[in-house]
Amino acid sequence: MISSFFLSREIKRYPFFFLLLLVTLTLGTLGLLGIGLVSEQVQTKLKSNAKEILTSDLVVSARRDLNDGEKEKLQSVVDKISHEHYLVVDIYSMVTHLRSGETRLVELRGVEQNFPFYGKLTTATGIFSQKELFVSKDLSELWQIKTSDVMRLGDLTLSVSGVVTDDSSQGLRGFSLAPRLYIPLSDLQKTNLLKPGSTGGYAYHYRFPKLNDEEVKKVKDLITELLTDPAIRVTLPEQSSEQTGRTLGYLTDFMALAALIGLILSLVGIFYLYQSHLLARLKDLCLLYLHGLSKGSIIIRIIQQFSLVFFVAFALQYLSLSFFYQKLVPFLSTTVGLDMPKEISFKQILSQFPFLYGLSLSILVPLLMGLLRTPMGLQLKSQKISLARFRFYDFIPFMLLLLGYSCYLSHSFYTGSLFFGALCIVFLFSMITVKLMQWILKKFIAGRGLRIPTIEYGIALRNLTRSGHKLTLSFLSLTLGATLISLILQLDRMIQKEFILDENKPSLFVFDIQEEQLSPLLEFTKSRGLKLDGITPMIRARLEDVNGKAFKRATGDTGTLRTREDENESRFRNRGINLTYRQHLIPSETLVEGKLFPEKIAGETLDRPAYLSLEKRFAQRLGLKINDKVTLDIQGVPVEGVVWNFREVKWTSFYPNFFVNVEPGFIDQAPKTYLAVLPVTTRENKLSFERDAVKEFNNISFIDIEELAAKLSDLFTRSRMAIEIISWLSLGVGLVILYGLSHDQVYRRMYDLALMKSMGFSSGSLIQHLLLEFGTLFFVAMVAGFTLGWGMALIIGREIFKISWSIDWGRMFGPGLFLTVLCLATILVSAWKVTRAQPRELLSDT
Amino acid sequence: MMNVSNLKKSYGEGSSLVEVLKGINLEIKKGETVALLGKSGSGKSTLLSLLSGLDTPDSGEILMDGKNISFLTEKELTSFRAQNMGIVFQQFHLVSTLSALENVLLPLELLKRPGAMERATLLLDQVGLSSRKEHLPSQLSGGESQRVAIARAMAISPKILFADEPSGNLDEETGEHVMDLLFKMVKESETTMVLVTHDRDLAKKCSRVIHLEHGGIV
Repeated sequence: MISSFFLSREIKRYPFFFLLLLVTLTLGTLGLLGIGLVSEQVQTKLKSNAKEILTSDLVVSARRDLNDGEKEKLQSVVDKISHEHYLVVDIYSMVTHLRSGETRLVELRGVEQNFPFYGKLTTATGIFSQKELFVSKDLSELWQIKTSDVMRLGDLTLSVSGVVTDDSSQGLRGFSLAPRLYIPLSDLQKTNLLKPGSTGGYAYHYRFPKLNDEEVKKVKDLITELLTDPAIRVTLPEQSSEQTGRTLGYLTDFMALAALIGLILSLVGIFYLYQSHLLARLKDLCLLYLHGLSKGSIIIRIIQQFSLVFFVAFALQYLSLSFFYQKLVPFLSTTVGLDMPKEISFKQILSQFPFLYGLSLSILVPLLMGLLRTPMGLQLKSQKISLARFRFYDFIPFMLLLLGYSCYLSHSFYTGSLFFGALCIVFLFSMITVKLMQWILKKFIAGRGLRIPTIEYGIALRNLTRSGHKLTLSFLSLTLGATLISLILQLDRMIQKEFILDENKPSLFVFDIQEEQLSPLLEFTKSRGLKLDGITPMIRARLEDVNGKAFKRATGDTGTLRTREDENESRFRNRGINLTYRQHLIPSETLVEGKLFPEKIAGETLDRPAYLSLEKRFAQRLGLKINDKVTLDIQGVPVEGVVWNFREVKWTSFYPNFFVNVEPGFIDQAPKTYLAVLPVTTRENKLSFERDAVKEFNNISFIDIEELAAKLSDLFTRSRMAIEIISWLSLGVGLVILYGLSHDQVYRRMYDLALMKSMGFSSGSLIQHLLLEFGTLFFVAMVAGFTLGWGMALIIGREIFKISWSIDWGRMFGPGLFLTVLCLATILVSAWKVTRAQPRELLSDT
Repeated sequence: MMNVSNLKKSYGEGSSLVEVLKGINLEIKKGETVALLGKSGSGKSTLLSLLSGLDTPDSGEILMDGKNISFLTEKELTSFRAQNMGIVFQQFHLVSTLSALENVLLPLELLKRPGAMERATLLLDQVGLSSRKEHLPSQLSGGESQRVAIARAMAISPKILFADEPSGNLDEETGEHVMDLLFKMVKESETTMVLVTHDRDLAKKCSRVIHLEHGGIV
């Protein structure tokens, strides 16, 4: 009887409240679950294809070939086990399509017999051969390549045998810098492109037919122990799929945080809705209490009631996601760059259930605590029934869960805490703005009559001054939504401006210039009336020890608590370092800690360690501090160094730069290659320079910066679209809540409005004062939200993307105005009820 | 002042139709204080709502100073009420976000009366609340709230004041004090008043008592 009172009867009696609760919960969690589903589908697909992506059971790889000692150590392990193997060499180089005369940067993949052990390469003609030249589909489409077309690769010319239409080793399509060409490894060696310092990688692939996964892991551990250079990576299939999914992982992490804002907004709404509902129901609850139902029992039943709505919302999402996912598979496959599976895995959705349920329930804790503190027996005797006030510490469970959930979703303690901190700032800023607005208005209206300048505005201003936490809650949800939208729009603009619209970007990035080619290349450039800029030597090295302690390779632990920071650090540790030497700072970098290198005195003998200038974030990731002593191994020669200063580098300038810059005079004689840029020039100049330079210097590679910027723009547009959808969904939640809030406000004020009507206010006048009141609230919230969003975009742009600030007034005020109008329309719908306010209901006997 | 003829009002429809007023005829003279007395459901509050223009009759006429208010549009009726009538409710009904002074000021500002602030301050002084004028309704007791409501109803110097069981929500002592204040102010300003009550003793304080029963005058 009691349970039915709390469930079915109450739902029948308050259908609007429960409908609003259901819609709010459903919309609030939809974004999160949708992202969770797509992310899980991608991971499932990648995991199931892990061996096909790696093409073997185990790979030993590095950005250089293994030396003889390392090869021997590797052999000592694998020779004891039955195995098959092949070597794959990947390098980036320029190729020329002789029929069209076009030249461009490609990824040359040199393969041997047996490639691939797992997975397959589908070709247009049906058969792939490791003994012939094949081109990828995107390159074939770009140059209209036909079978038997001839390509020049370094010193070699080869004819094309076919087009690879599908390569199962390519995890995610669309994120590669250059199209791929498959060439027999023996031919790759003949091209003469494999020069010391060339950009590329060597991968020794193994298949162990008689070993199971656990045994392969043990082989991996043995190899890892023997090959101590952190730059050598030993990879199993599952790690390979993780690496492939990382790009998307970062994106879904951020999208999940954006979606979390939607959930927080909906929880703000749920808090408010439940507070109003409990207040309306308090008299009945007091009566139940007087008849023997304990407060604990009442609270348990309220939780049951909420849980029922939550389960229904969850079931609705399950159904709607199933339906929409099936419809969206083709679109998602194109956007993500992976053939998405049609079957749905709800593991991720179900795994999120406890978090979502816990977080949603925790927002009710302050209200339930208030109920627990309410002297229910006395309530019925007093004239006004009221719920006891909740305390600040009642919100602690919610805040802790929110912090934990933010870290869980972003897979990062740093990002999760930063997000939580940013939310706290928005919350505090909103509170301060509301209080400031109320203080100013209070001063403004003090001692004045009601007509400021009209009576409608006078009353609206007084309502704004005197409404308590309800106003703050509405303001908070509006400001949060506006902040998010503004952040996305402004950041988008800043990135577009920095990456794409910057007219001073160089035209070409030139790399793999051998030492002996530098002077002829400069002459060649000069002869064409052009000049290379930013010429920077690049030397391969590795970090041996820090302060006397050997620099260890990060473990490949893939535990569930592994964060993005762990992954980053691990990646940084496990790779060699490219470094340069330079005395002075260049325009695209600034000194942030420490001192500049001291000027050299002629004839000075340098019998001290070399001073090192490190990129700040690189140093932070490796835990290096100023004055730390490090030993670098530069191609077999140990070089002592001291961390002298930290720099911030503006990578988006596209000018060559490195994480480590060594004071000149210490490593200048080491074998090196050079990087440079061709400053801005016409498209014709750029293309003809590129084409002719490749003929002259066949191992030098070029990246077309315009093309790269277009690729980045495309990638960013895809990401932005997804984040924008989430942002608007969050705002949709905000509007539903707003409708609920305004509906509730109007409903609560029905008597006030009826009273004003009895005194001579027309319906139009009442609507006008409501619109003025809420309009002012929206306007201030939009200005606060959009300013805050812009401020956050500045900080994120500066701290994360290292881009310069800018402001787009159109994006600042356009959406703000649109949202204000949208909000006012929402209020208008609610306020329309005032026309139904009947003054006669104020009388005693009606 | 006010002439009512054959006034009828019913609520609901079909089998649930309730005939609340069954043809009321009534005349109220200027300066008169009239008590409408009757049990719950006798129709006294419905009659008050029709007389004060808060509701419209099904049939019949209400003439005030010769003007038939039964056929005015809602807009005209609202404007007429603002200029000529004051209402005191049982539940006080103060605008929750306005202070005591602002509640009294509200009808005066609506009519753009000159010297509104001075008049509102004077009225609050008359009801003994000059020290509470900046307080919000939530900070006032029941008796204080009703005194503010009386000051507000009297602010525009209405031709007629309607009072709907003004002491019904107050304890006996406070109720008496409030009613004494109301009668004093009505008398001093020679305002016509229609008072709905079920308290016979209170009704006796009026110059005329009208008994209502089953929707008709007895």
